[in-house]
Amino acid sequence: MKSTKKKSNLFLTIMGDEKRQKITIPLFAILLSLIAGAILMLSLGKNPIEGYLSLLKGCGLMMKKNYAGGKGMLTDFMSFLDIWTPMIFAALAVAVAYKAGLFNIGVSGQMLLAGFVASLTVGYSDLPAVAAKPLTIIIGMIVGALAGSLIRLLKYKFNINEVVTAIMLNYIFQYIISFFILTYYVHPITRQSNVVSDASRLTLQNVQIGNMKSVIPLGFILAIVAVFALSYFINRTRVGFELKAVGANKKGAIYAGINANKSIMIAMALSGALAGLAGVTYYMGYVASIQPKVLISTGFDAVAVCLLGNSNPIGIVASSFLVTIISKGSIYLNSSLGLPKEIASLITGLLLLFTACDVYIKYRLKKAKDHLEYEEKEAQRYIEKYGEQKKEGEQ
Amino acid sequence: MNEIIVNGMSFSIPLFIIAVGGIYSERSGVTNLALEGFMGAGAFFGALFTALTAGVFASTSNLPMYLSLFVAMAGGALYAIIHAVLCIKFKANQVISGVVVNILAMALTDFLTSQINESVLGHSADKFILNVFPRLTVESLTGIPVLGGFFTNAYIFEFIIIAVAVVAWYVMYKTRYGMRLRACGDNPYAVDAAGCNVGRIQFAAVMVSGALSGLGGMCFAYSVFGHYSTSIYAGYGYLAIAALIFGNWKIPATLGACLLFGFARAAGYSLIQYLELPGTYSDLIMILPYVLTLLLLMIFSKNNRAPRALGEIYDKGKR
Repeated sequence: MKSTKKKSNLFLTIMGDEKRQKITIPLFAILLSLIAGAILMLSLGKNPIEGYLSLLKGCGLMMKKNYAGGKGMLTDFMSFLDIWTPMIFAALAVAVAYKAGLFNIGVSGQMLLAGFVASLTVGYSDLPAVAAKPLTIIIGMIVGALAGSLIRLLKYKFNINEVVTAIMLNYIFQYIISFFILTYYVHPITRQSNVVSDASRLTLQNVQIGNMKSVIPLGFILAIVAVFALSYFINRTRVGFELKAVGANKKGAIYAGINANKSIMIAMALSGALAGLAGVTYYMGYVASIQPKVLISTGFDAVAVCLLGNSNPIGIVASSFLVTIISKGSIYLNSSLGLPKEIASLITGLLLLFTACDVYIKYRLKKAKDHLEYEEKEAQRYIEKYGEQKKEGEQ
Repeated sequence: MNEIIVNGMSFSIPLFIIAVGGIYSERSGVTNLALEGFMGAGAFFGALFTALTAGVFASTSNLPMYLSLFVAMAGGALYAIIHAVLCIKFKANQVISGVVVNILAMALTDFLTSQINESVLGHSADKFILNVFPRLTVESLTGIPVLGGFFTNAYIFEFIIIAVAVVAWYVMYKTRYGMRLRACGDNPYAVDAAGCNVGRIQFAAVMVSGALSGLGGMCFAYSVFGHYSTSIYAGYGYLAIAALIFGNWKIPATLGACLLFGFARAAGYSLIQYLELPGTYSDLIMILPYVLTLLLLMIFSKNNRAPRALGEIYDKGKR
């Protein structure tokens, strides 16, 4: 009895007060999902430590045993940065909407639309790189922002639930773009859209570094800038504060004189713009063409990343780092250990599940703490009472 | 004409029962974006059942197919427990929980399908092949113009679903449990004051939602796909949500919405065949239900009245 009490004490001290719990609860969720993943790997007869190490190796964070000619750890790492970039943007897109109390599940669709329009306008033109790259970014942002605003506009004008609108628009974008690609822009062999010009691509291809050839994702720099800019915007500007206030308590914010509709509109436009950036860094960076009829899962995984990172831009860098390691590393996990690739999405799914339990974990911690405090108080009172009795006895 | 009716019905009716599942959950006050996941998970269990029992029944027997519908219902209800626990016991954000449950369903069934195919059935594949579900033609009624189409080549599960839907309607509107369920969605504190356990009513409602979605998902697997694979996550669960919002959270009106979606889709396909357009045009038809949803929601959403306490986390202490 005593030992269990001590254990829970230790757990409580590790989890810390409410401020620290913002970090410790996600870490706890990660730990749980990694344990679950380890059990899965064990049940398939593989060593989980080797499994997790091969995830790191596949992302260029650890040395592999041997590399093909012209490739090395740096190549893997650069390619990891390349796929990490759209994930950061997508998660920031979810986060900024979430801060204003909205749920943007349409990130994938907005990414696709922005990538497609930027491909058509810039990718298939023969503009020089100096003009094409900035133009790609700007068009991606504008198209994304328009798509994001459309969701809000439909809610504001016609009172349509934004989640439903976003999902419907996801499908509409997916099929319309698929129709245009298959009718006008299809590559006869790959059955994907035609490859965009290298000048417009946001990832430099085949750059010679030492004796290795590698990609250089320019978008990654932009993503890091976006993280800090967004962090500044939310925490240090008036518009950002209003946006947060609307998300925390809409009625209260309106009562305080904040124009809630304007705040939400800004949040959705910003969210869409970030999703657009995710789109161009994916479709015109990591890959150079669009596969018809497929909506990539980045926009949905971004929800997980955003939740795990407490919808805080800095937290999102950490959580997207982790989720990208799992998804990107799964390819090497598959080729080196023969474990099924699906295991990665399963671990991410479980991670999401445990993260969604955060309110409950917080509640349980608070309850346990209150209970401890209560017990302590009781003990104190008992000692006081007992002491008094003793004194009385002495007299 | 008959072809449109046959195709339209085989799409609308499974969609309808998923939407009824959604109505159960949402009328009890639990937002349910997880229909897509329930549908896929239920269909997974049903398809798994047929795959595992393939040698048990005679190959000509239709019995395993009917049984698989029940297994899909049970599986869907079982899977729905995750959403119920997250929303009701853990008091998580219901929208987030729904999305989480969907993503997990996709990952879990994808993983299990390939694993079970490899280790139990001994061949690597990412899907379970399903037999063709029996169809029914009522000879005496086929002669009636238009109406006859509903009795020509109809999948038998359509009649099963309609029977289930009638029961669901009866339970929701004519029984004590149904009344309490609807009250939970509007004012759970009043239900609590009347001495009922709100959590238990909502929990049951979410499980019913899972069962009905599982049934619908299994029927989709039979009719639209002919096999079970992750391609079943084609967004029909979300379409069902749109249908129920369009149907104003009422069962008969939702049936109308689903029929509209199904027939718009079937008519579009027939039109493409009639005009002999290339296959890529089918992508344009695919968006018809979604565009229709948005357009109709634009017109009707203003008058919509969602359950008052929908999405609100029920906290007994707040009363």
